[in-house]
Amino acid sequence: MADHVLQIEKLSKSFEGSQVFNNISFAVDQGELSSIIGPNGAGKTTLFNLMTGYHVPDSGRVVFMGKDIAGRQPYDIVRLGIARAFQRTNIFPRMSVLENLVSTVITKNRGNLNVVTPSAKLKSAHERSYEILESVGLADVAHRQSGTLAHGNQKRLDIAVALALEPQLLLLDEPTAGMSPEERWQTVELVQQLWENLKITMLFIEHDMDIVFKISQKVRVLCYRTLLAEGTPEEISSNEQVIEAYLGEEV
Amino acid sequence: MMVNARNSEASSGTARWLVGAVVVVALFALPFILSQLGRTGEYWIWVTTEMLIMALFAMSLNLILGYGGMVSFGHAAFFGVGAYTVALLMKKAGAPLVLALALAPVTAAIAAAVIGWFCVRLIGLYFAILTLAFGQLLYMVVFQWYTFTGGDDGIHGIPKPEILTPIAYYLLCLVLFLICFLVMRMIMNSSFGLTIRTIRENMERAKFIGVNVRRFQWYNFILAGAFAGLAGGLLCELNRFAQTEFLHWSKSAEPILASLVGGMYSLVGPAIGSAVLIFLKIIVQQAHPSLVETWAIFLGLILLVVVLFAPGGLVGLYQRLTGKSET
Ligand SMILES: Nc1ncnc2c1ncn2[C@@H]1O[C@H](COP(=O)(O)OP(=O)(O)OP(=O)(O)O)[C@@H](O)[C@H]1O
Ligand SMILES: [Mg+2]
Repeated sequence: MADHVLQIEKLSKSFEGSQVFNNISFAVDQGELSSIIGPNGAGKTTLFNLMTGYHVPDSGRVVFMGKDIAGRQPYDIVRLGIARAFQRTNIFPRMSVLENLVSTVITKNRGNLNVVTPSAKLKSAHERSYEILESVGLADVAHRQSGTLAHGNQKRLDIAVALALEPQLLLLDEPTAGMSPEERWQTVELVQQLWENLKITMLFIEHDMDIVFKISQKVRVLCYRTLLAEGTPEEISSNEQVIEAYLGEEV
Repeated sequence: MMVNARNSEASSGTARWLVGAVVVVALFALPFILSQLGRTGEYWIWVTTEMLIMALFAMSLNLILGYGGMVSFGHAAFFGVGAYTVALLMKKAGAPLVLALALAPVTAAIAAAVIGWFCVRLIGLYFAILTLAFGQLLYMVVFQWYTFTGGDDGIHGIPKPEILTPIAYYLLCLVLFLICFLVMRMIMNSSFGLTIRTIRENMERAKFIGVNVRRFQWYNFILAGAFAGLAGGLLCELNRFAQTEFLHWSKSAEPILASLVGGMYSLVGPAIGSAVLIFLKIIVQQAHPSLVETWAIFLGLILLVVVLFAPGGLVGLYQRLTGKSET
């Protein structure tokens, strides 16, 4: 019990009468790097949305470090320790890369009510921001307007912003989506490296099975409105049901 | 490369300070020059005082419009509350001007806190409509409550302290304008200001970095209301009356138009826009009295030109011409 960071209990969600999933339960161990897979529209992003307060579940609980957080406000959940990077890049496009980070660090430190000090002069927030930008390889473009970065770098920035929140649990929604094969593997390496260095729990959604099987300790398959299977990469890749329903000829 | 960027940043910073200093000195000298021009000069002292006040009003709206990304159609409510605060305190309670002016932003902030508490629950067009509704509600209250507000007649004959010559009042407004400008600049450059900008840039993401979006929009709304209240109080004393028109929705449109013309992504933009519009209106009126009726057409043309050729307003145009760009 104690070493479950997150427990999903009998979670159900529907939109305008059409059910996305019904009665899903699983638990995420402290410090694990695991993935969620499933066909388009299976509800993977919706699951993240329920964990982060974007949507309210129809029923069921989302227990994070012993607290039911289902239906709480997003900012509240962030403060409790869940951060996310988005499937479709979600940054502050007309602000510089650095400002994206600085504003996040300030918010993390609850310094938003400072109306006196120029934010450009907050030394420790800037140092911390650079540190994070370096860890994701964006320090060189710190002064660029973030909306003008290449797609891959915008995705990295999205991850950097989530890292600046120093979460216990980091949710990555398709971190390699839309990247070239080369960029993909760089990102995968980055994710694995961050996980090893920061020792936080990470849960990612991914369509590329090579990536999923390479770095996940555990894989969960969302399909047919339920959690179809859960297990190690070996278990999942040889699971008859999963092969039939989702992996098909791919494997 | 980086050092170069720093250097040019620093030199453009000094240049900006220099321009600012020159403008401030000119603004202080202006009424003394105008007073040499007899009757016309007196009139223009009055006009430039009004320009300063309306510039403050426009800048106050821009805290929520340009910086916050929230379009309010009811900002005149706080301008009006400030004006009526000064009118009622001075006329009915015999309060001194200083006290009345100090309380104008306070009552306006309270009104903004109440109205804003509801409005920030909505976004976009719905927010705009609700601010309009509250603004018109307040307008109707002031209009109907004859015994307290004088209704349609307004409140006239606000006392004027002996020492407040037109020049002195101009200087008072200028000093208050400059203080407000510096305070707004400080706030918008601070962590609070950065937070407000993150909300404007991407409200959704702001929530997911842990910003209580509604709360910060509310604070910003109150702040904007307070500055508008001071502007309203100052105009009331300048005109020596308060009238329902101060709260009317058409008054709310003025700072929006000023922000569009001047440029809403800088602090001075709306102030410049406001002064330019007032100036043009007077020029049109003086060209021929019958042209007063056609001001709306001129305004329409000006807006058309701005939207088509200078979407960043005058400040945006200046930045494009000098090759600089604001964040
Ligand atoms: N806000 C919403 N309103 C209505 N329907 C929604 C909403 N969000 C998601 N859905 C629907 O819920 C279903 C699951 O969507 P979701 O985005 O969670 O899928 P996904 O597994 O992330 O898919 P993909 O792999 O394409 O990202 C889809 O049918 C989608 O249309
Ligand atoms: Mg998705």
